[in-house]
Amino acid sequence: MGEILPRLLRALATTIQISVLALLLGTVFGLLLGIARVIGPRLFYPVIDGYIFVVRSTPFALQVYAAFFLLPRAGIDLPLFVVGVLALLFNSVGYQIEIVRPALESVDKEQREAADSLGMTRWLAMWLVILPQAARRMVPPLTNELANLVKASSVLSVIAVYELTRAGHAIIASSYKFAEVLILVAALYFVTIQLLSWGAAYLERRIFTYRSGQPI
Amino acid sequence: MEDTPLLFAGLDVRFMVEIFPRMVQALLVTVQISALALLLGIVLGIPLGGLRVIGPRPLQLLIQGLVSYIRGTPQILHFLVVYFALPGVGILLDEYWTGVVALTVIAVGYEVEIVRAAIESVHKGQREAALAQGMTEPMAFWLILLPQATRRMLPALTNELINVIKASALLSVIAVNELTKVGNAIIYNTFYFVEVLLEVAVLYMLVIGALSWLSNYLENKVFSFGTALSTPETR
Repeated sequence: MGEILPRLLRALATTIQISVLALLLGTVFGLLLGIARVIGPRLFYPVIDGYIFVVRSTPFALQVYAAFFLLPRAGIDLPLFVVGVLALLFNSVGYQIEIVRPALESVDKEQREAADSLGMTRWLAMWLVILPQAARRMVPPLTNELANLVKASSVLSVIAVYELTRAGHAIIASSYKFAEVLILVAALYFVTIQLLSWGAAYLERRIFTYRSGQPI
Repeated sequence: MEDTPLLFAGLDVRFMVEIFPRMVQALLVTVQISALALLLGIVLGIPLGGLRVIGPRPLQLLIQGLVSYIRGTPQILHFLVVYFALPGVGILLDEYWTGVVALTVIAVGYEVEIVRAAIESVHKGQREAALAQGMTEPMAFWLILLPQATRRMLPALTNELINVIKASALLSVIAVNELTKVGNAIIYNTFYFVEVLLEVAVLYMLVIGALSWLSNYLENKVFSFGTALSTPETR
């Protein structure tokens, strides 16, 4: 077990890298689409809702296969690592829009009215007044999302991205020590995900108490 | 005439119609295996969920640990564990039943929490009244708490079925002939990427869309008195 731990830890680093990358890129798109879903032209709403529906009602494994098959066919040849990040990103944005939208809508509407009465445009009010207040409410669910991404990234092993699950599988295939490997892999995932979900719970408590009893 | 492609938006419609029966068959396998896992999950989830609430403290902690483990590790890992561990302890199953066992493990992790939350949502006066009538804890659980909790579980269980169906796509890695696997096999044989992926995605969306509508319906209409439970969505 001692021998394979360094290999698994390196693979865990890849898992975390992929997940963090997908989270951060996802937040950029999630914010843009989430804001568009709240104050953008109405024409966008069905498109964004349709995207969310597709993401949430198809298995992530299918989305991974689709990226794996379709990107090269469209003439886009990328390393598997990047294909994996893109698949994870496509998936995560669908969930992150649904983190951003409620957070924006949870800001008291008096805030927007006050900004209006000061002569701000809708977009300026969003940028200067609503978003800063909503941002802190997004932090706990986004931490949770990172935990979900760590779990989801394991599916990338099916297209041979060398992350933790794939590394475990490879070591089993060469050594047949499945019990040792699976216990270590499970423990590494478990610790990582528990830390993240405790982090999310902690942040939720902090933010909640800061607002002194106001529901977030 | 037989082999002239019938094109619509660049897609070979004739081919899509041709593979449709195989796709529907694969979808049935997906739904069947998921429903089986959900039901087995309920059979295990009710006693485990009950013990999680009224069992002895060490047992409660053990069940809680099991639930955290199942929910706190990736689903694909459960497939690998079941796939390697069952033969390791001398239980030999075919791919289909290996898949059912693995999906049941995933389902139980969430169903224990659904059962626990439903039981805890029944007013505690109900339990106290049952005990005051001279019932034992298990009797109060089976006769008083569980019947009232059951209807509150329905929307959450429908959601859980959605989660299990999505998880079943991972069975393609252990060669169960469910929808994702059959789609991939057709792609490798024919290289009709877009047509196959589109058809697979639409079939999933139809089933999952219908189930999520049902779940919302159960939550809003049947449970308008307000204590339906929700369950976290997995991928």
